[in-house]
Amino acid sequence: MKILIANRGEIAVRVIRACREMVLPTVAVFSDCDRDARHVREADQAVHIGPSDAARSYLRVEAIIDAARRSGADAVHPGYGFLAENAGFARACGDAGLTFIGPSPDAICRMGSKTGARQAAVRAGVPVVPGTEEPFDASVPDDAIARVAADIGYPLVVKAVAGGGGKGMRIVADATDLSAAIRTARSEAGSAFGDSAVYLERRILHPRHVEVQLLGDHHGTVIPFAERECSIQRRHQKVVEESPSLAVSPELRARMTEAAAAVARSVDYTNAGTIEFLLDGDGSFYFLEMNTRLQVEHPVTEMVTSIDLVQWQIRIARGERLDIDPVRAVTPHGHAIECRIYAEDPDEGFMPSPGLIRGLRPASGPGIRDDGGVSAGYDVPVYYDSMIAKLVAWAATRDETIARMSRALGEYQVLGIRTTIPFFLWLMRQPEYREGRYDTTYLDRLLADRRVNGTSFSELSDEDGELAAIAAGVDAFLRASAGVTGSPERRQSTRWKQAARREALR
Amino acid sequence: MTFEIDINGRTRAVSIERAAGSGLFHVTVDGRAHLVDATRIGDYGLSLLVDGEAAVSREISVAPAGGRGELLIAMDGRAVPASVNARRTGRAIADAGGHAHGDQPVVAPMPGRVVRLLVAVGDEVAARQGVVVVEAMKMENELRSPKAGRIKEVAVTPGMSVESGRVLVIVE
Repeated sequence: MKILIANRGEIAVRVIRACREMVLPTVAVFSDCDRDARHVREADQAVHIGPSDAARSYLRVEAIIDAARRSGADAVHPGYGFLAENAGFARACGDAGLTFIGPSPDAICRMGSKTGARQAAVRAGVPVVPGTEEPFDASVPDDAIARVAADIGYPLVVKAVAGGGGKGMRIVADATDLSAAIRTARSEAGSAFGDSAVYLERRILHPRHVEVQLLGDHHGTVIPFAERECSIQRRHQKVVEESPSLAVSPELRARMTEAAAAVARSVDYTNAGTIEFLLDGDGSFYFLEMNTRLQVEHPVTEMVTSIDLVQWQIRIARGERLDIDPVRAVTPHGHAIECRIYAEDPDEGFMPSPGLIRGLRPASGPGIRDDGGVSAGYDVPVYYDSMIAKLVAWAATRDETIARMSRALGEYQVLGIRTTIPFFLWLMRQPEYREGRYDTTYLDRLLADRRVNGTSFSELSDEDGELAAIAAGVDAFLRASAGVTGSPERRQSTRWKQAARREALR
Repeated sequence: MTFEIDINGRTRAVSIERAAGSGLFHVTVDGRAHLVDATRIGDYGLSLLVDGEAAVSREISVAPAGGRGELLIAMDGRAVPASVNARRTGRAIADAGGHAHGDQPVVAPMPGRVVRLLVAVGDEVAARQGVVVVEAMKMENELRSPKAGRIKEVAVTPGMSVESGRVLVIVE
């Protein structure tokens, strides 16, 4: 089986690593600006698929299929993002005689729709956030909606059926605000999506985001894994994930993993997928949605179960039977935390910070895993998601994992661009994080408070500031002196020449 | 040699001369004298042993970042903006308390699309207050005012595509 990876960056490198360990040949694809990217160098073959703009390269189904044909690949791994949850792409792979390493197009289609997935969960007997099953189109009068709202209970959320990214969504504290909320949600959704239909959902006040990874084979076996907690989110984007969750007891874990497996079985789900739940303070949980792909945070599950999910995706696609011990899959061994390292400036509201990486020395040592996608000398392009690595720490307990993650973040060196590493170092020191007292609103509240103070995540003590000044001074001194004797690049080449001469003399 | 070194918005006077012995330097920071043993590690790194017998050992890297003479100091996982000899960036000035004088533009740091404006002409803004949201690299980014002042001009409208370096808003 020769596998084409229809992706780039760290996830392409991650999939290539799994293939190497299985001794399977790999094909990378790349756009104009990715010619010198790391995934191109690590693959056995690489095919150019178009301009830098993703819409004309990584998102072009025909270009990927054509690259597979030209390179002789017989399977495609979509990674995550880009075409990973595009049922049309999965279908096109099948039509071209390629094995799509993921779920069936029907499963992607069905579980990719919010209302479709919700209905599947209800049929499987899994609780969903209480709300309306059928949308209210523009003709439904407000007082009819108000009667339904009273049954659901306040506070609630008015959501546009076609909504997304917070658009067409209004939180309603009590009945008096309902009409105004329906009006604005309808008008926002009407102008943004051309569809003013809305539905209602109970508002869960302090939810934690807890999700269950699962694998399903083509022989009817579905195996759920111990949960991941992903409540550390900035503007609804996960930034830190861990497994297991402090909020999940073994008894709750048994119920959640069983519920997740029931949803997956009810739609004959195959390959890797994740069921996301909201976990309320009282221990009740609600189905949120299903992701029909591998997820960014999959390494924390791998670390606490010692099971390679990407290798299993490939084995399942080859038709193998899942022979993982189901007890082992739901029994976390130790604790794992992942930090998503982005090329962003945390001191400037997490603004993307693309540019030339002048030096790179990832963390290593006991219990550390760096799923990186870049290398020194690489210019982080402006065209794609700016994640450059996933840093994962594992240890026997959560406290030791936090200590290990802090140690690793301090070791991690990325020169020339700003990254979110200083922010993670700060987060690992926050008492609420250390004690596990957080929900999905925690980080945004914490950052809003900080913003008022306006201090840098990289603030230095007076002593460290003095050491930094000494370093900057010595650096400037050496560069000024080197102006006479040569630049670092010239010194480097001189050293090589000297080494070559020594070799020649032997 | 003497340098004026700005780190995280605070300026220090640093003077350096070679001391007797390989890799040794006399370094004075704002009048405090140090004996420093410094060794280059790669192109941008320095291994420092500061102040003799019970020497403090630190690895600190000083690398250029961006194209405006700005430096980033990497130290124990932190990344600290710095500049040498008053090549102070707008950011350093804003960090120092927003005392920049005259009209200050807010420019697009990369190609993107204007999502929304947070201010209108005539609005009073504080230093580092958000003024415009631009979508780039699939993320919405809030760009902030380089200084406290009044919005003199808004040069873009929501939905507009902007190139890197395009002036979006001017603060006076």
